[in-house]
Parts: sequence; C-alpha cells; structure tokens
Amino acid sequence: MKRLTLLAAVTAAALASAAPALADSFTLWVRADGSTFMPKIVDAFNASHQTKAELQIVPNAELVPKYAVAAASGNAPDALSLDLIYTPSFAAAGQLEDMTDLAKSLPYYASLSQAHLSVGTFEGHIYGVPFSADSSVLIWNKDLFKQAGLDPEKGPTTWAEIRADAEKVKKLGPDIYGYYFSGNCGGCNIFTFTPLIWASGGDIFSADGKTAKLDSPQMRDAVAFYQSMVKDGLVPAGSRTDTGSNFFAAFATGKIGIAPSGAFAIGALNTQYPNLHYGVTFLPGKTGGWSSFAGGDNFVVTKGTKKLALIKEFLEFAYSLPGQTLLAKYGSLPIRSDIAKEALAGLDSRYLVAAEAMAKGKTPYSVVFNDLINSANGPWNTTLNKVFFADAAAIEPALKECDATMQSIIDAAK
Amino acid sequence: MSGSQTDDVPKGPTSPARRVRRRRRVDYAGYLYIAPAILLVVVFFVVPLVMTAWMSLHNWPLIGRIRWIGFGNYIALWNDQRFWHALGFTVYYTVWATIGLLAVGLALALFVEKPRPGIGFYRTAYFLPVVVGFASASLLWAWLSNVDSGLFSPVAQWLGLTAAPYNLLADFDAAFWSVTIMVIWKVSGFYMIILMSGLQAIPTDFYEAARIDGANYRQRFLHITLPLIRRSLVLALILSVTGSMLAFDQFYIILAGGPQNQTLTAVYWIFNQSFVSFRLGYGSALSMVLLAILLVLSLVQLQFLQSREDRR
Amino acid sequence: MTETASAVRSIRRRHPWRIQLAMHAASILVAAIFLAPLVWTVLVTFKSKAEAGLPPLPPWPVGGWSIENYRTLENFGAGLIHHTLNSLIVASATAALTIVVSTLAGYGFSRFRFPMKGAFFVVILAAMMVPFQSILTPLFLILSRLHLYNTLTGLVLIYVTLQLPFSVFMMRNAFDSVPHEIAEAARIDGARGLKLLVIVLGPLVLPGIASVGLIAFLNAWNEFLGALIFLSEQDKYTLPVLMTAVRSGRFGAIDWGAVQAGVAVMMLPCLALFLVLQRYYIRGLTAGAVK
Repeated sequence: MKRLTLLAAVTAAALASAAPALADSFTLWVRADGSTFMPKIVDAFNASHQTKAELQIVPNAELVPKYAVAAASGNAPDALSLDLIYTPSFAAAGQLEDMTDLAKSLPYYASLSQAHLSVGTFEGHIYGVPFSADSSVLIWNKDLFKQAGLDPEKGPTTWAEIRADAEKVKKLGPDIYGYYFSGNCGGCNIFTFTPLIWASGGDIFSADGKTAKLDSPQMRDAVAFYQSMVKDGLVPAGSRTDTGSNFFAAFATGKIGIAPSGAFAIGALNTQYPNLHYGVTFLPGKTGGWSSFAGGDNFVVTKGTKKLALIKEFLEFAYSLPGQTLLAKYGSLPIRSDIAKEALAGLDSRYLVAAEAMAKGKTPYSVVFNDLINSANGPWNTTLNKVFFADAAAIEPALKECDATMQSIIDAAK
Repeated sequence: MSGSQTDDVPKGPTSPARRVRRRRRVDYAGYLYIAPAILLVVVFFVVPLVMTAWMSLHNWPLIGRIRWIGFGNYIALWNDQRFWHALGFTVYYTVWATIGLLAVGLALALFVEKPRPGIGFYRTAYFLPVVVGFASASLLWAWLSNVDSGLFSPVAQWLGLTAAPYNLLADFDAAFWSVTIMVIWKVSGFYMIILMSGLQAIPTDFYEAARIDGANYRQRFLHITLPLIRRSLVLALILSVTGSMLAFDQFYIILAGGPQNQTLTAVYWIFNQSFVSFRLGYGSALSMVLLAILLVLSLVQLQFLQSREDRR
Repeated sequence: MTETASAVRSIRRRHPWRIQLAMHAASILVAAIFLAPLVWTVLVTFKSKAEAGLPPLPPWPVGGWSIENYRTLENFGAGLIHHTLNSLIVASATAALTIVVSTLAGYGFSRFRFPMKGAFFVVILAAMMVPFQSILTPLFLILSRLHLYNTLTGLVLIYVTLQLPFSVFMMRNAFDSVPHEIAEAARIDGARGLKLLVIVLGPLVLPGIASVGLIAFLNAWNEFLGALIFLSEQDKYTLPVLMTAVRSGRFGAIDWGAVQAGVAVMMLPCLALFLVLQRYYIRGLTAGAVK
C-alpha cells in the first residue's frame, strides 16, 4: 500500500509540473542543429518584446516523427524551424499555413534566399520562408599543404587539382590522408557531392522533382572520381561506414588534407580548434566552375494556428539587421542577401566565400526527399555507399538500378 | 521430476480425486486480482492493437489525408521484396543468435552450476552485461568497432591479424558477426541463469547411478542432462526466438542497417516505413503480419513443450 | 543440503589442486572477457577530450585524469542531474507499479480457478510479441485522449504494460512453487485474500518480486523511443533521450568521450542496483524459470 501512496505522490508531482501557457506567446520547435543560434534569437526577442516565444529543441532525426505524431493529436507547436528539404512534403500533406501574403508583404522579400523560397513553394503558394542558412564549400588544411610543398593559400579548383593535392598530402605519413568524405551518409553527400555534379552541368532530379536522372555522364564521372581516390588509399578506411558522425570531426583532427564541408564548419573550427589553419573555397566542377547546396531551415507555421500575428512579429525581428547579425554570429549564414555583408561584418572573412556560395546555391525539390536521399536505407545512400567502394564496372548498373528505385518511390507518392 | 520442488503443484493429468477438488474451487475473486493487469493490457495493448489493425486497412500518412484502401497494404506487402528480404535476414539472425545464446548459455551454466570457491563472483561477472541496456551496449559496441577511434581494429593490428586498419563494419559477414557476438556477450548470462536453474533441479543420484553403470561424460550429458533440462531449454528457446525476431536497436545503432541495407531486420523495416517514409498504414500491415508469424512460431514451440510433457 | 555438501565433496575428491587451479584460471579468463568492455568504457571516460577520440590503448588516461567528458554532458538539455532525476522517478515508479500489478495477477492466475483464465493469460503474454514501435501512434492517440500525453505518469503506465508479460509469467510461477500446504495452513488460521497474500505468501515470493522489480527498473531506465515520443517538454526528458542528443551531436559530429561518459552514467546505476539485489534476483529468476 505504501507503494501506491508513493506512486500517487510521484504522479501528482509529474502533473503539477505541466507548464502554464501564456496568452501572448507561441510555441516554436527547432532541430538540434539550430541549438547554437535559435536560443540566442529567442532570448533577444523575448527580452525586447511583449510577445514571448517558447522554444523547444528536438534531436535532428526525431523532429519530423515527433512533429507529425503531435500534429495528429492537435499538440503541434505553432511554428517550426524545419530542415528546408522537408517543406514540400509537409506542404503537400496539407499541414502548413499559407504564408504567401506574409512573405510578400515584407519590403525585402526580393532579397530573401531564393533557394529557400523555391523549396518553400508548393503549387504556387509559399508555405515556408527562409530562417537559417548553410552552404556547402570545400575546405583544406593549410598546414598540411605547406608541409607537402603546395601553396597553402590556393585551394583546388578542378577535380584533377583536388586529386593531385590529395596525393601530395597523403605522402606525408601513414595516418595522414588526402581527402575525406562520409561514405555512408546520404545527407552529407547530397550536401557536398551533388554540387560536384551541378558544377559540371548535371543534375539528379528534374526541376519539378518528378523524374530521377541519376544515370548521367556527369554523375558517373563524379562517382568514378571518388572511387579512384578511395582505391588509391587517399581516403581513410573509416569513411566507408561513417554515417555522418565523422563528417566534421575527421577534418578537425588535422590529419586530412581536403574535405567537402559546410559554412557551419567555419564557426565550429574557429571556436573548437583555433590552432587549425584552413582555407575555404567553392566545390568545383570537373574542369572548373563551382556550385553549392543551399541548406538550412525554413520557417513554417502549423495550419490553423491563431498566433500568426505574433509569429510575424518574431520573423520580422529575425530578419532585421540585429537579428541577422545575431544569426551570423552564432553559426548561420544571413538569409537576406541585401544586408548579408553588413551582418557578417567583423566576422571571419571566410564566411564571405560561404555567403557567395549560398547566393548561388541550389536545393533539390522533392516531396519524398527523405525516402530518396536522407534515409540511411534509401536508394541514394545505399547506392553511393556501394559504388564509392566498388570498381569501375559496378558504376553504371548500380546507377541505373538506383534510378529505377528512385522513380518507383517518386511514382508511389503521387 | 521426482524429488524436485515442483512436486506439490499438480500439472497435467492427476488423480481423479484431486481433479474433483480443484474443479470445485472455482472462485471469481480471481478476477479481482488480475483486474489491474488486464485493465492495463487492454488499454495500452489490446486497444492499440485493434487500432493498428484498423490503420492497416488505410492509406495513412503520418501527416495528411487518410484514405480507406481495404487490403491494399497487404497486397503491396506481398510484393514488397525488401520486406521479405528483411524478414529473411531476421530469420538468419535469429537462427545464429539462438544457437550462440543457447550454446554459450549452456556452457556457462555447466561451468558455474556446482558450488566451488569463488563461484558467486564468476556468476556475477558473467551476468553483469545483462544489466546494461541494449541501447547502451550497442553504443559501446559501435565505439569499440569503430575503425578510427575503437579498440578492435588496433588490437587486431597489434596482434598481427591484419596489416592495415580493418573496418569491421564495412562487410556483411564481419559486421553481422560483430553485432551477433555483442548480443551473445550481453545476453548469454541471462540464459546461463535459466539453464542453470534447470541443471540444479536434476538430482545428483541420477549421475551417480549412471556413473556406476559406466556411462562417460558425453553419455551422461546426452542422456541425462539434456532431457532433464528440456523445460528450461524450451523457455530459453522461446525467449531467444521472440527476442531475436524483434531485433532492432543493435542493428539501428551499430550498423544503421548497413552495409547497403543487408542488415535491415523486420522491425527495422516497419520502423522505416512508419517513421522515415511516414506510411503508417503500411507499417501497421507489416506489424500485423509479423505478429501473426511470431504467434505461429510460439505456438509451435509451446506445442513441442506440451507434447513432450504429455508423453512423460 | 546434504546433496550439495556431497556434491562439493565429490568435486574435491575427483579434482586435484592442479585441475582446480586450471578451472579458476579459465573462470577468471572468461570473467575478464565479460567484464573487459565495461571496465574499458568506464576508464576511457576519464580521458581528456583530445585523447578520447584516439584508440583506447591503454584504456586508462595517459595524459592525466579529467572529468571533461562528464562536464560536456551538462551542456545538453536541462543538465545531467535533472534528467537523471526524471529517469529515477520513472524507473522507480515503473518498478513499484509493476510489482503491485504483477504480484496481484500472478497470485490470481496461480491460486484461483475461474472461466477464461487461460485466455486472459495468453492475452497478457501476447503483448510480448508485438514490436513496440508498431503501436506507437495508437498509444500516442490514447495517451492524449486520457490527458496523459507529456506526463511521466503516462510514460510509467506504458512501461508497466510492456513489463507485464514477463512479470506476470514470473510471478505466477513464483506462487506456483509455494507449497499448497502453507497456504492451506494459513487459511485455517484465518488468513484470507489480500491478507494471506501480503503477510503469508509475500515473504515467500520475495525473490520473484525482487527480480520483477529489478527488470522493470532496468527496462524503464533504458527505454528511449517512447520517452521521446510521449514527452514533449525538454524538462521531462529521461536520460536515454538526452543520450540521443549526445550521440547525434552538433552537425552530426560524434563526441566519443561524451558518448562514453553517457554510457557510463546510464550503466553504473544499473550495475549498482543489480549488485545490491543480485542474491534475490538470481534466486527469483531461478524459481520463476524452472517451471
């Protein structure tokens, strides 16, 4: 019987701690990647406004399931900072509030990130507006370049140069490698591998996302390029099973010559590894040119929320120069191109490269992006994991098969 | 099982007098005692299960419009190569894990059955990994198997087994055995205890008698030990088969289903369909099929136990 | 008693000291294999950040002991202590409630005859055969209907239900193995119903109760998916949810040192609790399993 009393006490304690909802407040979720800048923006906003934002940080992989399950029972947050690639599928599901009028009423609408807006648009309506941004770039280790007799101030600009530089760096020692990529991470590779294809003139989907175009000459070349570097031992063995946990950490050890990465790495390297000297450049095409993946979060609003006015107030704060400066300071690129330079003023000048990459960045559009690309078990990841570590003959059949699988997933979702 | 502690509890056919006495004792107060358990199981298991069955007849995206499609999901499932492949892998894993668990569990049980100095410590040591959670154990193993920061690769190199760093998780066989050995390491202590309880219930006179008859160790093991621990063995078998058929955490955390989806288990596939592809209806249909398979498997195993018992 | 004594004597007789020594050496070697990963992990957590990313040879810190890795855990969520407390509340409540419910049910199934008894028992056992992942969404809908969404109470009720197949099975067997004569004698002395259960039979099935409670505690302590989905406020998250955050890390970068520290924090209370209760636990499992 005593146990029952104890249980009752525990129960009462648990119930009593339910948070009271404030009248002038709205709830906001963000994925864990946003945990550097989002709390700062929310704190600044709450300190200066009558309206309060109640923030909750959710682990990256669990944000979507958690949101969807919450939405099914009417417990969804009012607003959500969502990985931008999910915007089409959320909008297609009828889950989001139309933000077209809100977006177009902003005086700086034209200078908001186009890549964000294009994935935020579904059937002509805007359901997601830019919030945070991250572009993919190539980084190289200046110390290793110097030791290898390369010009430490000049990053590679073609695939052949990447390879040549990586070979020279590899010669420095058995535990030093020329190049690194996460070989079992769909998200990492869409972010850093597709720009190699884009910059060479190819693509993986049609513009509307309804046709898979995996088996292209550019794609085959790019795969062969990675494959040959693996085969010649320029890439560490761990790459093959790296599901993304080493995406950033491998380069940070200082034993990797060149790695594709993102703008986020600049802030992270500067604060965590201040002694590592590195350069930032664009992800090149086969024989020149460059491209970038425009990543980050779109800000979306749950359909039927009554807090739209409060949310607009918050967005306007985030879009203002102080808001953008705060964002830039804590690890996101500005999403307004008109004040990007001002917002980045006084910060590491390498951010400017990333901001330029962002302005020209692309984002693939698909309502089944997660199934196709991000899922560890989806066709994109399993195919790349297979071909990167196989031989040349395996490339074409694997890409053809991947193409067919992707198309069947796209068609099944219609 | 003469001489064992179970003597007082009537089991199976007993004398007519006893049966009459038992039948008279129908007592509805029993319902009161099982009521809380039944209430919980109904609210948090039976009702959700019925809802799952209901959902399996719909096109039920995690978000968006829900549509009745009858048996559409089951038809799609029939043609879903990847599900059947996942199920095939699950069976493969179940067979090896069960063999490993029962063999190691039995070996350990024989090893620690008899009291001798220090035996308490050994039993505790072999059992300790059981206490660690599956997720924690998987995380630990993911680290130990990691080629760059882990333990196994450098040790193999140090022992001269491999020349270069060896990525244990990159190929199917190595990855599969790495995970299976982790499971054996973590769970065999549990089976040790179950089988040990069976061994300890065997009266020593049986062995003495056999020894006098000149039976050697192998004969004693095959003809006395194994038959007499059958009940414990079947219990261990059912627990191991059910547990392995539902395997998910270890393959999710250590391998993420890799290399190239070769270690996707049935539950992993259900999880993927429901929470990665957000096809809840389809995921529900898969769950119903898996449930049916498990029920049949358990019934077969129970039948095995039952029929052997009646024969005694 | 005499049986065991003679067994010990017979072993002594047949095994000279050399063989005994070999047996001990083998036992210790096997014990080392079983314990090594646990010991390794705990030692590694005391390495410094830089050292934690390198292969753990030797396992102990080379460049000085440090608690940096545990400090890192403080930066996640509402802090280590807070989430540990949540976990303690949930796991203890689950253990307590599981004990009460499964003892009652085990008693009911063991000592009473009533219609449909077998069917009810099978329904409870069947809960073991359904992957928890597949009834997640219905459970969520039910919890929000009962206004138990985002409460530790709701989480506890679900954990208890998940524990019931094993626990009820164990407790029924525990009651089965209590000689009927004892209950009969008590009944003649006037003890009935709950009184009989608590005062007379309770002490006799204590090992069963200990094992059921311990297993419930361990499982609730380690469960992650339900905790993540059924709770919506960070303040209520339990330790395993914190651990996923640690594992996925910033930008997906894994901090092995922090992961090891997290695993150690998850693991050590379980080990301690087991060592305290192991005497009962192994006896309870033995009595429950032999049937």
